[in-house]
Amino acid sequence: MLREFELDMPGNLQETLARLPGGTLLAGGTNLLVDLRARREDAERLIWLGNIDGFRDIKIEDGRVIIGGGTTIGDLLRNPAMAEAAPSLVAAARVFGGQMVRNQATVAGNVCSGSPAADTVPPLLSLDAEVHLTCSTGSRTVPLNDFYTGFKTNQRKHDELVTGLSWAAPGPHTANLFYKLARRKGDAITVVGVAVTVTRDGDRCTEARIALGAVGPTVFRAKDAEAMLTGEPLADDLIDSAARKAMEESSPIDDLRASADYRRHCIHVLTRRLLKQAWEDAA
Amino acid sequence: MSLEKAITVEINGVARELSAPANETLLDCLRRHGQFEVKSGCEKGDCGACAVQIDGEAVDSCLTLAWMVEGKKVTTLEGLNDADSPHPLIAAFLEHGAVQCGYCTPGIMIAAEAMLRDIPDPTDDDIALALSGNLCRCTGYTKIFTAIKQAAEVLRAGGGDD
Amino acid sequence: MTDQEIPYRQAEANVVLRQVGKPLERTDAEGKATGRTRYAGDYTMPGMLHAKVLRSDIASGRLKHLDASKARALPGVVCVLTAQDLPDRLAATDMPGQTGQKRASTDRQILVREIIRHHGEPLALIAAETPAIADKAYDLIEYEIEPMPGVYDTEAALDPGAPIVTEPDNIVGEHKIRKGDTEKGFAEADHIIENTFHTQFIEHAFLEPEVGLAWVDENGVVNIRMSTQVIEHFRFIADALGVPHNKVRILGAMVGGGFGGKEDITVELYLALLAQATRRPVRLAYTREDSFVGHGKRHPFSVSHKTGVTKDGKITALEVKISADSGAYVFLSPYVLLYCAVAAPGPYRIDNVKIDSAAIATNNMYTSAFRGFGAAQACVAYEAQMDEIAKTLGIDRFELRRRNFMRTGDKTATGQTVESAIWADECMTQALEALGEKTAASGPIKIGRGVATYQQSYGRITWFHDTSEAWVGIEVDGTVIVRSGVTDIGAGQASALGQIAAELLGVGLDDVVIYNSDSAVTPLAGTTTATRALYMTGRAVHTASSNLRERLVAFAAQELDARPDEVDLANGQAFVPDDPSKSMSLKDLAARGASEGLERSELAMFRAPFTDPIDQETGQGPVFPDFTYGCHAVEVAVDTETGEVTVLKSVGAHDIGQAINPQAVEGQIEGGALMGQGYALSEELIYQEGKLVSPSFSEYLIPTSMDMPEIKCIILESRSGLGPFGAKGIGEPSLTPVAPAIANAVADAIGTRVFDLPITPEKIVRALRE
Ligand SMILES: Cc1cc2nc3c(=O)[nH]c(=O)nc-3n(C[C@H](O)[C@H](O)[C@H](O)COP(=O)(O)OP(=O)(O)OC[C@H]3O[C@@H](n4cnc5c(N)ncnc54)[C@H](O)[C@@H]3O)c2cc1C
Ligand code: FES
Ligand code: FES
Repeated sequence: MLREFELDMPGNLQETLARLPGGTLLAGGTNLLVDLRARREDAERLIWLGNIDGFRDIKIEDGRVIIGGGTTIGDLLRNPAMAEAAPSLVAAARVFGGQMVRNQATVAGNVCSGSPAADTVPPLLSLDAEVHLTCSTGSRTVPLNDFYTGFKTNQRKHDELVTGLSWAAPGPHTANLFYKLARRKGDAITVVGVAVTVTRDGDRCTEARIALGAVGPTVFRAKDAEAMLTGEPLADDLIDSAARKAMEESSPIDDLRASADYRRHCIHVLTRRLLKQAWEDAA
Repeated sequence: MSLEKAITVEINGVARELSAPANETLLDCLRRHGQFEVKSGCEKGDCGACAVQIDGEAVDSCLTLAWMVEGKKVTTLEGLNDADSPHPLIAAFLEHGAVQCGYCTPGIMIAAEAMLRDIPDPTDDDIALALSGNLCRCTGYTKIFTAIKQAAEVLRAGGGDD
Repeated sequence: MTDQEIPYRQAEANVVLRQVGKPLERTDAEGKATGRTRYAGDYTMPGMLHAKVLRSDIASGRLKHLDASKARALPGVVCVLTAQDLPDRLAATDMPGQTGQKRASTDRQILVREIIRHHGEPLALIAAETPAIADKAYDLIEYEIEPMPGVYDTEAALDPGAPIVTEPDNIVGEHKIRKGDTEKGFAEADHIIENTFHTQFIEHAFLEPEVGLAWVDENGVVNIRMSTQVIEHFRFIADALGVPHNKVRILGAMVGGGFGGKEDITVELYLALLAQATRRPVRLAYTREDSFVGHGKRHPFSVSHKTGVTKDGKITALEVKISADSGAYVFLSPYVLLYCAVAAPGPYRIDNVKIDSAAIATNNMYTSAFRGFGAAQACVAYEAQMDEIAKTLGIDRFELRRRNFMRTGDKTATGQTVESAIWADECMTQALEALGEKTAASGPIKIGRGVATYQQSYGRITWFHDTSEAWVGIEVDGTVIVRSGVTDIGAGQASALGQIAAELLGVGLDDVVIYNSDSAVTPLAGTTTATRALYMTGRAVHTASSNLRERLVAFAAQELDARPDEVDLANGQAFVPDDPSKSMSLKDLAARGASEGLERSELAMFRAPFTDPIDQETGQGPVFPDFTYGCHAVEVAVDTETGEVTVLKSVGAHDIGQAINPQAVEGQIEGGALMGQGYALSEELIYQEGKLVSPSFSEYLIPTSMDMPEIKCIILESRSGLGPFGAKGIGEPSLTPVAPAIANAVADAIGTRVFDLPITPEKIVRALRE
């Protein structure tokens, strides 16, 4: 049994924002209901987001992808445009939970859960995504890169709703990849997640992104490693050094799934592989 | 006590009114109202035994609150076993021995049926992806895959509609 | 052997089978595929209460006080039972109706009185009007536990001064096997190879958590409808309640998976106590977390092999040391240990064998039955050892096995002559062939192949004097009823009985209805464990059906004016094959018979071979009725940088004597293939200071659809088994060789071995670094 709570089911965005102060937002519930049942969470009033019109919509306007605050992982997979508009995110969606969880879990919920193992976050970081926040008095946009302030803490104020996320669809000569390493192929918690973006101009890399999951208190970008690549031809040696740098930038812990040491090792291996692949794909 | 509310919902084509408190999961609510084909295996989204469709989309009913289905259509395995036109998945599961203890079966059929509406000619990878949230400890999934492929064939040939 | 019937196989080696051996749709399939089957958790009763069990969340401690008064005062709480409310009785944890070789008492406290010995040990039972009230009452029980030093590994448990979990010395079982002279054998060897293999705690992970509903009826009988492999725990329940055995009835339902995890007592004891105390129907449904902490696990084993072998690969001597973690209570540990010891040499001829084994108590969760029952752990060790020997000698792994395989007519290490076919070699040859062309390696991805062969018993230990009963009757309209206490845990146990009766009585499977799993009204058939259901109860149904057939044939002969030996039964007809004018429907035959007072039913008992216990010092003597032999072969891809393993192909080849339903046999092999894959690669229960820290399917990882390899099943039929129509058993054997085959394939791929299951990516990376 779930502990008792009040359940608000506002019918639109305005009402939702009005009800927000003091309440806990309930999207797909795949984190929140699990936490309530395990008594890790003691929210007294839940506000369900399922009745907001158009909240799941995905739009692509002028090369910019905008997903709603209610867009689910399943929605990403079912949208044929996403394969090009967010290759790494689609790759993450394919290894995310099972069908039912994918239909319930929202991207915004995944981002807001703040778990370092949240699988959409490395791809979204690698795409330079922005988070759109709205409260009853106004809206603002925060780069996802600045969103997290620590383990499971973020910049969202308690009366704000994430109404969506957006990013620029990768242009030509850009490769965007994600790999999830887990203890099982289907439906498993990530041991190490790596997303990379490489934009190539001839034999130079003009921009690189490396985002790492499950190896620090938040998902984060390995910026020193990125810097090593920008403006350079990505020879194998350089790729290897950057991958090693990414490893050094991480701060994984030991847990039931893997040791910190193994995680570090895998960051190196996976970052190297993905960069190499991305460099080739971006040609 | 949480407030009880009456939910209007269509279950397997039949309009029903279910009363439920705010904190009741759809899983508990459906079973309390006699839909025993919806199974409970973990109550936290890990096993898929409780899968149902809401307006055609497969979800874990253990991670859904009963109130969320107000005004919606809920389909359980019972709904696929329409007396006039049972879903071809059922015959295929029987023919291929895809059922052992049967506890995972209702959830797997629900997940498979939803996939077949999206992907009429699924590959093994498509099926694997569609079923990765449905644990089965008995069958090793092999006969389930075979049965789903056969049902897909029957559906593509226009079967199961008459 | 006493009381042994003439082995069936000679009598029926080449009969034409009409129902048996066909992939018929199981009688239980339709109800399950349409969602109509009612499982134990789907039953409700008016006025039913909802129960909950309060458990200790630490493994070793002293319950200093427990106060349920606030919980009892909560409106809607009908009953809270603590140890103080129960008479000072213990609950048995042994096999029902059996006595074996045990060192320690197998009884346990029902609720904690003072000492807590494992995480999850029950402190109190609650029954309330609704599940929500039961939850609240759970929170209102006040108690204090003083932690005590515990012991969490088997070595520490044997240290002098170690906390004693089980009197007198933490050793709950020991078995020895002595054959030939190992010293002499080692002297003849060119190489001596020593290795130690470790297996982990694992969980059955059946999909249906334990559940039941109990009520006391108008005759004062405690009725319990529940999900169980063993309805015959009713006797232990009666003993624990202090009532006569005929006052407890256990009814099964279709079971949502068992695998050994529903072999011991689970919810029935708590249900019985609460129903007795409240006189109201009580339902208890475990959550998944309850299930994880509430039933016994597979034993972790440490198995050390020391093998002497000549340079051309002949094994001259084998010494094995086995230790198993039996956890905090005895349960079936002594038997699991015996299975491991007997299985330890594998399907190999070895003249000089010395085996020592011990099951040791700790404050970990108790361990008990799990598909493969000790023999699986033995196989993990002996098949890995075979590959290690081959590597040392530079001999082909498969050839090494061939040079040592037991052949039909050989004796086991305990001196038991195997009376059935030993087709280990044939199975291995076919399994290897079925792997087909080897997948190409690329870059860091290496491809490996491995096999494991095995010898695994089916049927119980022969000094248990195992029996099984079944009743078969024909109705006046020619339809058939089978009654037997056997529980159906998902493998089609009931349906197979129907197929046997249909075969012998000449009807279709559709014409048979099977009533099973009710300790009060179906003849007792023993447990659905030990790969014995088909063997034992199949034989009982076979005998009952054959006797009935004989009577029907004799009566038909009279009616048709023919000799009995001319009459056959098939397709719902009694007829003389050579004379088309002489035939009548079974329906008419049964109706005629009824009006003439013909007995239309038969109750039969099948007795397994009965023996005396083996010699305690040498372990010599027969232990099991018979054995199944087979092989599993796999191909894996290993990412040598990340350690990730992908099982590409998985082939099971087993001589199962005679497949009663080949589709059901394939189902066992395929299910075993994935369960074994989880055992090898991903499954592990993690206990920290005895506390289970991974009680969920998001931490305990059984294989999913995305982990499924290409699986092939090869069924060999020697028709030489002791089961009906020469069948052997497959339920457990299908699992046994899978994990070692995968371990061998991984070792083949990476050139070094991980000696501890599960073979995680991390361990692979570590092994490659060393
Ligand atoms: C079986 C299972 C498998 C899973 N597998 C994966 C996996 O593979 N990878 C992975 O990353 N995760 C996985 N998860 C975790 C979970 O599904 C995701 O984190 C999911 O994306 C959360 O989204 P939700 O809509 O369900 O969020 P909820 O549970 O509804 O909410 C999560 C948190 O976000 C807040 N929130 C939700 N929406 C908003 C919004 N619009 N604005 C502000 N705050 C909001 C909520 O208040 C809550 O604090 C799994 C979970 C389960 C049960
Ligand atoms: S019971 Fe809902 S997913 Fe397991
Ligand atoms: S058939 Fe038993 S769990 Fe799938």
